[in-house]
Amino acid sequence: MNKPHGETSKVAQEPVGSVDPDAIMNDPDDDFRLVALAQKGDTRAYDELMTRHRGRIFAMIRNMIHQEADAWDLSQEVFIKAWHALPKFEAKAKFSTWLYRIAHNTVYDWARKRKIESSGEFNDEIFERERIDSASFTTPSGGESPDATMANAELRVKIQIALGKLSPDHREVVLLKDVQGLSYKEIAEAMSSTLGTVMSRLFYARQKLQALLKDEYESR
Amino acid sequence: MNTNPDEATLALWLDDELAGADHAAVEAWALTRPEQLAARGEIRGWRATMAAAIPPSEEPPYPDFFNSRVLQAIREQTPVAVPQVKSFSWKSWCMPVAACVGMALTFWVGTKTKATPEYDVAGAPKAIPVEPVVYTPENGVNAEWFASQEASAMVIVLKGVAAIPDATDFSETVYLPAEREIDSTASTEVEPTLEKGQQ
Repeated sequence: MNKPHGETSKVAQEPVGSVDPDAIMNDPDDDFRLVALAQKGDTRAYDELMTRHRGRIFAMIRNMIHQEADAWDLSQEVFIKAWHALPKFEAKAKFSTWLYRIAHNTVYDWARKRKIESSGEFNDEIFERERIDSASFTTPSGGESPDATMANAELRVKIQIALGKLSPDHREVVLLKDVQGLSYKEIAEAMSSTLGTVMSRLFYARQKLQALLKDEYESR
Repeated sequence: MNTNPDEATLALWLDDELAGADHAAVEAWALTRPEQLAARGEIRGWRATMAAAIPPSEEPPYPDFFNSRVLQAIREQTPVAVPQVKSFSWKSWCMPVAACVGMALTFWVGTKTKATPEYDVAGAPKAIPVEPVVYTPENGVNAEWFASQEASAMVIVLKGVAAIPDATDFSETVYLPAEREIDSTASTEVEPTLEKGQQ
């Protein structure tokens, strides 16, 4: 991943060892600077923005639909739509939150189209858990011992299967909160929902997930 | 905090989203409620489990191609600037008018120019009819010719030419190409060119 512009000066201000590279990569202020350049047509700045955020958008979409190839295409669609919508973007929210909102709409549009094409009903089966590519979940994330990697890989498969049993709304709210680390307010913006709805969905989604993962969860 | 926090505030506190005075107030309230502290601890543990199991960020396959493909799509979908329509100028209507005026002027000048003089050919030298001369290839051979304009024919009579023997083989005067071997690998489509016979 390329280093963002102006990273050096920011790192220098921080004590050694306390710098979170991920935090720097997602520095909202630097995002706004790049967004301002991209809004003027600077594709290099937009390329930098994509490099920063593609990983989270791709992971989010793949965890939603469980299909890597479609997630790849949909992630691209998100960034293409975001480029065209950039003139409308105002710095009221973080760029990443705005991207999650576009990703949310893109995934739901995709599911709606699939429903029409298959002449089926719009239900959770569009996000079928049977399509989970179990092999892809075991990819080591790096920096872990082999035992921990294997344990996490197994846990990940179980969590993914359990997530697949949730409704898309519940799944999305769990992913945004517990995996992506968004705040309630940001989730409400991303899902075009209210704070109360998000809180309610998260409460019930966690309850259901914990019930599905009861054995696994209690052993930890 | 003497009164219970509302549900929204409690949910924010449980997820560590409260800050400042609100956070301090709920913390003080929760000190006497171990079940709330336990619930917060459980949620923290849950989040840690999820974070350890599912990475929040994963590079898509072929990340460089990912970016370049998006940028290419953006370029293709961005409307090309349409060249502006030239504004109305005097040149747009003046040039055809000038061309028409030029053609009319040229025509008028042509009609006013002195006509080409007719040359008098009466005094020009005339061709003298010449009697045809007939040459013969051998001495002693006399040739006479007779012409008829009505019949549009001319006859030449040769006297003193020896008679042609009946044994004369006229085929010797014709060129016949020798038979060639046909190369099986060569194309048989090409026809041999016949040479003209020589006298």
